[in-house]
Amino acid sequence: MARVQVRVQVRYFATLREQLGDGGARRVRAGTTVGAVWEGVLAERPGLRRLQVRFAVNEHYVEADRVLQDGDEVAVFPPVSGGC
Amino acid sequence: MYEITEQPIDVGRVAAAVGDPEAGAVATFVGTTRRTNEGRSVTKLEYEAHVTMARQEMRRLAARARRRWPIRKVAMVHRIGVVPLGEASVAIAVSAPHRGEAFEACHWLIDRLKEIVPIWKKEHYRGGTVWIGAQRGGPPRPHRTARTARRDLP
Repeated sequence: MARVQVRVQVRYFATLREQLGDGGARRVRAGTTVGAVWEGVLAERPGLRRLQVRFAVNEHYVEADRVLQDGDEVAVFPPVSGGC
Repeated sequence: MYEITEQPIDVGRVAAAVGDPEAGAVATFVGTTRRTNEGRSVTKLEYEAHVTMARQEMRRLAARARRRWPIRKVAMVHRIGVVPLGEASVAIAVSAPHRGEAFEACHWLIDRLKEIVPIWKKEHYRGGTVWIGAQRGGPPRPHRTARTARRDLP
């Protein structure tokens, strides 16, 4: 039988980490996309909507429509600014 | 060599890592922390990374560079944590048979690193702090004067 829920690990970085904390484990309905998880955060923190974010799942950049699997690590990134 | 480190970067070690008997050129790029950004006087700089993914993305960039240019070896090191002003925050070395492709690949790698690799810079000023890049998509950037910039800090 298909899972009803999947368990994912969410991680925030830089300004998002300062505003939301490190993240942590959460359960979401099977079939949930990475974008939907972020929309759930934005519903509570609409001020973050102005920030351009990118998503990574298991250390690969993905689009917002990526469906989450059990055990995925979901990272939400503000615009990167490494270098010098 | 693809590293994220909290220690000072040994540029000689980065260049040595790409040594290759088939190479006639080693191009290096060293990025250093600058005191002034957009008119603001920086007192402290720090970097944060998704460390394991940043290393992976550096490897992926090197693989892409190898498909574009006939280069031999690549090394990329980025420092995180507090980096004192004037010290290296990033170093890239590329070896190649000839200097043209070494220079081009090195230039391309630092440009892509700044766009893709999950690393963030936080600047501290007397009046506050700013995560660089986090203003994108938001209100217009502050004018290039220290006074205006300080007033606009979050």
